[in-house]
Amino acid sequence: MHIEIDEISRLFGATAALHPVSLSVPSGALVALLGPSGSGKTTLLRILGGLEFPSSGRVLFDGQDATGLSVQERRAGFVFQSYALFRHMTVSENIAYGLKARPRATRPNPAEISRRVARLLDLIQLPDIGARYPAQLSGGQRQRVALARALAIEPRMLLLDEPFGALDAKVRKELRQGLRDIHDNTGLTTVFVTHDQEEAMELADLVVVMSMGRIEQIGRPQDIRARPATPFVRSFITA
Amino acid sequence: MGRPLIRRSAMPGLGLSMGITLTLLSLVVLLPIGALLAKGASYGAAGIWETVNRPRVWAALFLSFRLALAAALFNLVFGLVLAWVLARYRFVGRRLLDAAVDLPFALPTAVAGIALTALYAPNGAFGQVAARLGWQIAYTQWGIFIALVFVGLPFVARSVQPVIEEIDREIEEASASLGATRLHTLRRVILPILTPAALTGFALSLARGVGEYGSVIFIAGNIPRLTEIAPLLIVIQLEEFNYDAAAAIGIAMLVISLAMLLSINLIQIWSRRSLQDV
Amino acid sequence: MSDIPAFHHRSPTTEAPALQWALTGIAVLGLALLVLAPLVAVFAEALADGAGAALRSLANPDARAAIRLTLTIAAISVPLNAVFGIAAAWFITRFDFRGKALLITLIDLPFSVSPVVAGLCIVLMFGSNSLVGGWLVAQGAPVVFALPGIVLATLFVTFPFVARELIPVMIEQGRSEEEAALTLGASGWRVFRTVTLPNIRWALMYGVLLCNARAMGEFGAVAVVSGKIRGQTATMPITIEMLYQEYLSVAAFSLAVVLALLALVTLLLKAGLERRHADQLAATHRP
Ligand SMILES: Nc1ncnc2c1ncn2[C@@H]1O[C@H](COP(=O)(O)OP(=O)(O)OP(=O)(O)O)[C@@H](O)[C@H]1O
Ligand SMILES: [Mg+2]
Repeated sequence: MHIEIDEISRLFGATAALHPVSLSVPSGALVALLGPSGSGKTTLLRILGGLEFPSSGRVLFDGQDATGLSVQERRAGFVFQSYALFRHMTVSENIAYGLKARPRATRPNPAEISRRVARLLDLIQLPDIGARYPAQLSGGQRQRVALARALAIEPRMLLLDEPFGALDAKVRKELRQGLRDIHDNTGLTTVFVTHDQEEAMELADLVVVMSMGRIEQIGRPQDIRARPATPFVRSFITA
Repeated sequence: MGRPLIRRSAMPGLGLSMGITLTLLSLVVLLPIGALLAKGASYGAAGIWETVNRPRVWAALFLSFRLALAAALFNLVFGLVLAWVLARYRFVGRRLLDAAVDLPFALPTAVAGIALTALYAPNGAFGQVAARLGWQIAYTQWGIFIALVFVGLPFVARSVQPVIEEIDREIEEASASLGATRLHTLRRVILPILTPAALTGFALSLARGVGEYGSVIFIAGNIPRLTEIAPLLIVIQLEEFNYDAAAAIGIAMLVISLAMLLSINLIQIWSRRSLQDV
Repeated sequence: MSDIPAFHHRSPTTEAPALQWALTGIAVLGLALLVLAPLVAVFAEALADGAGAALRSLANPDARAAIRLTLTIAAISVPLNAVFGIAAAWFITRFDFRGKALLITLIDLPFSVSPVVAGLCIVLMFGSNSLVGGWLVAQGAPVVFALPGIVLATLFVTFPFVARELIPVMIEQGRSEEEAALTLGASGWRVFRTVTLPNIRWALMYGVLLCNARAMGEFGAVAVVSGKIRGQTATMPITIEMLYQEYLSVAAFSLAVVLALLALVTLLLKAGLERRHADQLAATHRP
């Protein structure tokens, strides 16, 4: 799905978390929002997911105005920074949650739901953990379960807030490739937030560099490396 | 342009939760208190003053406050000991003791009132012993004091206990390694950490004591100007359908309560600030 | 006492054994005299003429009417309070708005108002010589000296219980699980039922437990609004007072035993919740 961000701004009281920003995410792209802490990455991602509302501007999905769509209607697979797994549900119940929440007409039957849960557990290469609770998982496992849960609703896009932020360097590298593979297999338009320039450059098709609520540069990794548009981008990517 | 009154959010249920909250709060708490204030306003400041400024009323207000203060001070010290013992020492029956601390919260005040009276009346189990020493407890201010100690007992202990449990032992070890005696550590290191919670509990205990009625009236004797507490005066005025006078005393008590609520909040703000310094 | 190695040097973070013994002694003795003795007295006085007399006094119609009334009042006011507490905690912890601190203070206000003043407020608002009360009496629906007034008084004094317990728990749990459920397509009601409620259920139960104990035991506020009509508006605590004033000591204490047993059950359940679900309660975290 093609995502178009048109002059979106967001004010929190007097401070602007986002100055009007515009961005076009081509269908099927894997895009990184890269920037230091407080640059407005999470705010922008939450606006895309329908969890936060812009003070002005529009969001377009495949050319259709989606600004007024509720969070449920957007069908964005959202992976939270701290995963936000339901702590009182098993891994399987977590993954099945979105399917069970569907209206009866479109809800798969229980057998179909468990089949899909099993398939997703295979996809994240954790076939045997369905009966466990989130507290019994490692950080990397939790991250993958959160991803599976988001994929279960057959989302129109994938939005991930610092998906590897809470993990150690080794796990981070492994899961990076995992996300790349899932993206390539599903073809979902994917936006992920990171403040790690190496991660953004290595993983994304398109990198959006943000600072203080503005977009400093949009480009392919190699282009940003070769031709930083502003002094900020230059210093940030060499840091 | 300030920040909006309510920030728009994707969370559901804003209207419903706000509606229920504000409706019930208004109906149950705010409108009735408003009715009291309105009554006071129609009675006028002069009328209120005239009612309150009588020896019997002053005596009752002063008695309620003085004995609540004394009981809260007792509970401050005893509550600190209780909290320390329960948090730090392991002994047989500790669990039972821990549960017993909450009994005054759970036991209805009227039940506590008649039980204390039975114990401390001149022919009661404790009253007899005291009488032999020439000391009358029930139907004197001592009785009120004991009832107020009972109802206020859990506040300080329950405020302080979790704080003690969370104290980092390394602080105490650091103090000891710097050559401090145990007593010095307790006084100079531990006590300051406990002070905000202890004061909060103290203020809660005091507030509870000033307004307490059920546990006190049975043991108090209710002699005007001697053992008559302020809430009882309100009840007496109401029984005589003397609504203006009841409202006047009620407002005086409300003002005292609000002043104490304010001080509790100030203590909490102050303690939050002092904790941030660490 | 604690694990003090008897012949070694004392650990630097414990007190001298003598001091430990002294403090423990003060705590045990103090609690025994101040708290446990009154509890024992309730039972002893009730059984002064034997168990038969105590049971007979409980079978008295007035005593049974009082028990029924108290149960009715709790059955109305506790669920209302739970609904209020959940709504208030949801509103306060799930939304950002101005005046939040003031709202929390107002919700806490009943804890610092004397129960008698609370009753007075309700009499002044709904009594027959007030505007609202006069109209209600004319409609044949009196509030004061009737069940609605007792319920209102009970609601007033128990008002903060559930909300106070839920607010810190829901702040600590944060909003992200609910947000996740929303992104997965769940409706608002479904989010509450499947995500929020399971996370707050023990805290809710804890608040309801304390609220119930207070609701059944409230005396001061109810005394003012009830009118003390035997068999009609006399709750258990009010009946205890009336019996006691009439020197019917056994009858008064027998009814008191019922309430004391309720208090003991409450404490037992409370201790159980605290032991098993400490991490999900506010009380065990609160400073
Ligand atoms: N709910 C809020 N209330 C007030 N200000 C907020 C809120 N959310 C975000 N902000 C402010 O908006 C700005 C952008 O925040 P945002 O969370 O989008 O940054 P970020 O780029 O995701 O940072 P980080 O890398 O630290 O997660 C910050 O200055 C932040 O303080
Ligand atoms: Mg962020």
